[in-house]
Amino acid sequence: MTRFVESTITFPYKRSLGPLVGAFMTALTERRILGVRHGDQVLVPPMEWDPATGAELAHDLVEVGPAGTVESWTWVPSPSAQHPLRHAFAFALIRLDGATTPLLHAVDAGSPSSLDVGTRVAPRWRGSRVGRIDDIVCFVPGEAPEVEGEDAGPAEEPVTRMDYLASITYTNPVPPATDRAVAATLERRLVGLGCPHCGRVYAGGRGHCPIDAVELGPDCEVELPQTGTVTNFSIVTPVQYPGQTETEPFVRAFVLLDGTDVVLPYSPVVDLPADQVRVGQRVEAVWAASADEGEQGGMGGAWGALAGWRPTGEPDVDDPDLVNRIF
Amino acid sequence: MAERCAVIGVGQTKCASKRLDVSVAGLVREAALRALDDAGLTFADIDAVVIGKAPDMFEGVMMPELYLAPALGAVGKPMLRVHTAGSVGGSTALVAAHLVTAGIHQRVLTVAFEKQSDSDAMWALSVPQPFAAPLLAGAGGYFAPIIRAYMRRSGAPDHVGMKVAVKDRLHALKNPYAHLHLPDISMKVVEDSVVIWDPLHYLESCPSSDGAAAMVLGSEQAAAASQAATGRRPAWVHGMAMRSEPTMFAGRDQVNPQAGRDCAADVYRQAGVTKPRADFDCAEVYVPFSWYEPMWLENLGFCEEGQGWRLTDEGATSMDGGDIPWNCSGGVLSSNPIGASGMLRFLEVALQVRGEAGEHQVDGVRRALGQAYGGGSQFFAMWVLGTEKP
Repeated sequence: MTRFVESTITFPYKRSLGPLVGAFMTALTERRILGVRHGDQVLVPPMEWDPATGAELAHDLVEVGPAGTVESWTWVPSPSAQHPLRHAFAFALIRLDGATTPLLHAVDAGSPSSLDVGTRVAPRWRGSRVGRIDDIVCFVPGEAPEVEGEDAGPAEEPVTRMDYLASITYTNPVPPATDRAVAATLERRLVGLGCPHCGRVYAGGRGHCPIDAVELGPDCEVELPQTGTVTNFSIVTPVQYPGQTETEPFVRAFVLLDGTDVVLPYSPVVDLPADQVRVGQRVEAVWAASADEGEQGGMGGAWGALAGWRPTGEPDVDDPDLVNRIF
Repeated sequence: MAERCAVIGVGQTKCASKRLDVSVAGLVREAALRALDDAGLTFADIDAVVIGKAPDMFEGVMMPELYLAPALGAVGKPMLRVHTAGSVGGSTALVAAHLVTAGIHQRVLTVAFEKQSDSDAMWALSVPQPFAAPLLAGAGGYFAPIIRAYMRRSGAPDHVGMKVAVKDRLHALKNPYAHLHLPDISMKVVEDSVVIWDPLHYLESCPSSDGAAAMVLGSEQAAAASQAATGRRPAWVHGMAMRSEPTMFAGRDQVNPQAGRDCAADVYRQAGVTKPRADFDCAEVYVPFSWYEPMWLENLGFCEEGQGWRLTDEGATSMDGGDIPWNCSGGVLSSNPIGASGMLRFLEVALQVRGEAGEHQVDGVRRALGQAYGGGSQFFAMWVLGTEKP
């Protein structure tokens, strides 16, 4: 049975909006909806260019709506966490009064039977508006706009950027080679996979040889030593960004395992300050109690319970070719 | 090459750390409209659009080419996106040129961009992945050990990297589109900046930029028509090549990658170049960290292996008296909208060959090399442009 793990990638993007979408978002905080004139058309939301030809448009903004007519719709019976409403709703193309193009938005219609092509709808405004399309919570049947909760008023400054918290969760199948590598670390063993064609040995649970493009199965497994020599290193001065966990300069070392051709790249070190790492330094593996990253000091991922590398205190290896062994 | 191909229009934005006045589409249009104007064309004249950018994580817009199609006048036309990490600006231009040399299209618009201010490059390059140890290092942390290996292998003195950092920033002062304009740059200023990725100083590293680049590539017929309309001469494509190799395998030479050497040999063969240092009048080469200049001097065959640092140290690559000026635009060290950085190299070569580079023009350029690399030095893209029809 293939095992699966989840991983989530999250980042708070800040998007700059440009002159017309910025004006559109600013107007939303004022409970107004803007379009742009293009000949006898009015495009909503406004665009800086003709969507058919790419030609620049005069930035001639005009207020539309707030009510409009449903042109097409689809029912969402079971909303997900990322949908605009928690209960069943419709996504609809709504042609706002005065517009010639429809706007996609949610309609809180109660049931599909109360919605039809031609149904009149009006916006339900969020009380606290920041200049995003969801300042309109949704549209509701009828001609009269609503405000949800207390109206906090328009934005104090023109809106030029939009916050967007991106979050996506992946479900990844775990390669069997990775599972075997992690299991070995729990027994404080390092295992590698030897390619039957080129003879290269790979650590870290990668179940293929990138040179020969062949799968490396359990029959290719070889036991690796737990001592080695630092061939090269990176001292990283961390830049702060949302999600960054490092604050001080830290070392990532490249470790050539004794008697093998195997380099473990970007390995954490233990008991080794950044100003003391050297090419040629002798090191040994340090083990954590479990493979859980963060909890017990394990590196996580395919490195499992390997926490990093610690100086042994043996004399350095003097070999001018060592530094070239980055991989 | 079956059909001839030339650069007939170029356009770029001023690079800046934050272009908050424009959206991604607005940024891309700024470069595209300038390239069209330079070629004496409008969107209606364009047969196809080829776009490139670095990974989507940088702006968090998945498949931005879908949303950018109307902004680039691509509705009803073929539109392609190219992905090759940091080299993408170069390979995007090559894919566009292939559509012309293959005889498929007459005029192709190619565009590349990055809007780094929407997120953070170090995060976007170190996105946590299951089964991989978290790197948290950014590009500098990745390349610093390779630079250390080069320094030890070649015996280069420590100051050579700083010399590149100063030289490229002095060049940038002549380029109004460059992001960094540091009039007080000096060896001392670079040395006094923090060591951010040992052995690299902060000022030996590229900035994070918002910016876009665009070119119009045309057939022989299209080139003649544009030249008649604008009076600006075309820059002819004399050779194009791309190569790639795996990021990690035991024994891989990261300092002087095989893919880079093979790519150079291929593009030189097409262009009839046998002595790059003598045969080219200038070059725009992807140098995001100072030491990549001497490393690529060797990888591209401008000198013997181990000698690149001597050319840099002697000033051979400087506009100020050097015989083979590199990165007259200021290079990636002065402007780095990642996805566009490779195209800026290719575009700057076109400017030089057309004699349109303004203050940073090298006199009498007849033939020049553009190079871009990306990923873990695993993707390479190069072209050679010349004043004469190939």
